[in-house]
Amino acid sequence: MYTYDDFDRTFVTERVAHYREQTERYLAGELAEDEFLQLRLRNGLYIQRLAPMLRVAVPYGNLSSVQLRMLAKIAREYDRGYGHLSTRQNIQFNWPELAEVPDILQDLASVDMHAIQTSGSCIRNVTTDEFAGAAFDEAIDPRPYCELIRQWSTAHPEFDWLPRKFKIAVTGAKEDRAAIAVHDIGLQVTRAPSGSAQFDFFVGGGLGRTPVIGALIGQNVPVQHVLSYLEAIMRVYNRYGRRDNKYKARIKILVRAMGAELFRKKVEQEWHFLKEGSGTVTAEEIARLQSHFIDPDFAAAQDLDFDDLRLQHPKFSRWLAQNVFAHKQPGYASVTLSTKVTGIPPGDVTDKQMDSVAQWSEEFGYGEICISHEQNFVLPHVAQSSLFALWQAACANGLGEANKGQLTDMICCPGGDYCSLANAKSIPVAEAIQRRFDDEDYLHDLGELDVNISGCMNACGHHHVGHIGILGVDKKGSEFYQISVGGHSGHSGEQAALGQILGPSFARDEVPDIIEKILNVYTNNRYSGESFLATFRRIGIDPFKEHVYANAA
Amino acid sequence: MPTQLRKGATTWEVVESEETHYQSSADWDGSSPLLMQCDEEPSRDTANAAGIAIEFPSFVDGRALSIAVLLRTRFGYTGELRAMGATHEDIVHYLVRCGFDVIDVAKNRLPERYLALIDPYSAHYQGSAIQPEQSFQRISRGVNA
Ligand code: HEM
Ligand code: SF4
Repeated sequence: MYTYDDFDRTFVTERVAHYREQTERYLAGELAEDEFLQLRLRNGLYIQRLAPMLRVAVPYGNLSSVQLRMLAKIAREYDRGYGHLSTRQNIQFNWPELAEVPDILQDLASVDMHAIQTSGSCIRNVTTDEFAGAAFDEAIDPRPYCELIRQWSTAHPEFDWLPRKFKIAVTGAKEDRAAIAVHDIGLQVTRAPSGSAQFDFFVGGGLGRTPVIGALIGQNVPVQHVLSYLEAIMRVYNRYGRRDNKYKARIKILVRAMGAELFRKKVEQEWHFLKEGSGTVTAEEIARLQSHFIDPDFAAAQDLDFDDLRLQHPKFSRWLAQNVFAHKQPGYASVTLSTKVTGIPPGDVTDKQMDSVAQWSEEFGYGEICISHEQNFVLPHVAQSSLFALWQAACANGLGEANKGQLTDMICCPGGDYCSLANAKSIPVAEAIQRRFDDEDYLHDLGELDVNISGCMNACGHHHVGHIGILGVDKKGSEFYQISVGGHSGHSGEQAALGQILGPSFARDEVPDIIEKILNVYTNNRYSGESFLATFRRIGIDPFKEHVYANAA
Repeated sequence: MPTQLRKGATTWEVVESEETHYQSSADWDGSSPLLMQCDEEPSRDTANAAGIAIEFPSFVDGRALSIAVLLRTRFGYTGELRAMGATHEDIVHYLVRCGFDVIDVAKNRLPERYLALIDPYSAHYQGSAIQPEQSFQRISRGVNA
């Protein structure tokens, strides 16, 4: 993984000092609330319904065991003993004291971490595939390019005061596990005939109130031009993106208003001037970044079949099938440690769990950890011969749930329990669903099923791209839930798609029943082996509508 | 009389300046310095002006930063470039890097703060209007062992 040099360390240290000075000016009354807001957001600090919330940047989800132990320490010393894994591969702490935040940032800096640009109208932390550098289906490791973009976008002189927040995701694999179609910019890295990397730029995707799939703007952009192409897009957005209405300020609205053709033309005109300029990435820099992401020292090993263990331990067998992902190196695997346990808000992890994961990563996985956008921990490189031991340890620590990709592995925003923008609570809905569907065989039989929950139209829980999406709505002052079917974020080789709304919304206690009805339509209509999504795409939304609303009248 | 930060040969200093007479883009005939708004287009023509000021409607509005970069790096403008209006001490370092060399101190703000925040960072990853090279072109960062 990337390790800081003196240059990075100097910058982050100076940034902490700068933010400390800003906090002092605020506490001394020299900065007004709305002025300090802009500064604290760019350093990760939100003020929420109950308390401040600090979002720490985990670059493209990558953590070392040393860094994860520091996060555990922060959870213990400044928070109430837990943190929350976010859908953008970051970690959030819900109870820090505003005056202590500079100290937390200093602790983070001591392990080469920060909270820079994790909120505010600027370029946010770059995200990628949680199996980057390990996946069997990867054409190119995206992480050196994520790091290139991270550095380029950090405290950018021109692009730190954008119309709205700006999110970039990168994938280098065949299957898009980074949801690049629903980002402000999604980058698909492929290998050019010459062998070097090239990039497709999808621009203007996003969720929120106006869900859109990104348009292909730049195609096969050679690696040396990736920063100049980005600069061209950012300049067009910074100049022409709307600033009069925050709900119309994302780049997706600009792309839609201009049309993809005209937007591309503007970008290409701008790029024409920049293309061979000082933004050109040197071969040395690419080599330098790649040198941080070389494979660990894998031992020669064979893939194992686990026949005996599977027979003896059906739960282990299920976990192998669900949570263990094929690795490019024979004899190795990538493991998902699920945080989705009934009764615990999805993504919440305790300091003790963080310490345990750090320890397992050292014992079993070269000290590397990744946070996935599904809010789970991943150990990317585990020898298959260690899987059983890891599974046992994970089970003993509440991280051994065999539900990755299943109904109970829900994405869920903090909702009305924590968030002041919410129309409705979302965590209790997730819990009610987990309680209703607790039969492991049934869940396994349902197969891959993404259920995503957001407490309002801001769509932090990505409800539009859930196979089943649940959205909190306000109906005459009480909490209701609108349900959509057939969304998809673009993984498993499927085209990304936005879900279709079933119809009138439901009260909270009806939601598990409605989910059950939707699942019945699926199980009654599917061909053998057909996934939920494939069945939906074949039969359309009508059978779902009919069954769900059949007895309503 | 506006209080301003001005870039001198070697350092920045706080000065009290005379009011300048500007023409707006609509009226501009080249006889006076030009006052631009954030939604206007800079050009080769604009770059002939004997002084340009850009008005900040709010310090969170980054459009003037792009205009400044275009004037300096695309259109070859070398004259005085002034940030007017709703500036703020905490955007001074962005203004400097985007090529402004005169920065008005907004009403009720402290000039000494502006001066102190000219450059809070000694390390910059990107190039800028005053330092075109990216960090990787400026310094050797070695290869990870
Ligand atoms: C707790 C308080 C939170 C607040 C007030 C909040 C606020 C918002 C708002 C206002 C938006 C819409 C932005 C827009 O469309 O321009 C948004 C989007 C988003 N939030 Fe949150 N959020 C919160 C927590 C979270 C958490 C915990 C996560 C991760 C689990 C998250 C992930 C996201 C993501 C991924 C989006 C982007 C959706 C898109 O693509 O437009 N948020 N949030
Ligand atoms: S989706 Fe709405 S309720 Fe949920 S966290 Fe985001 S802003 Fe809050």
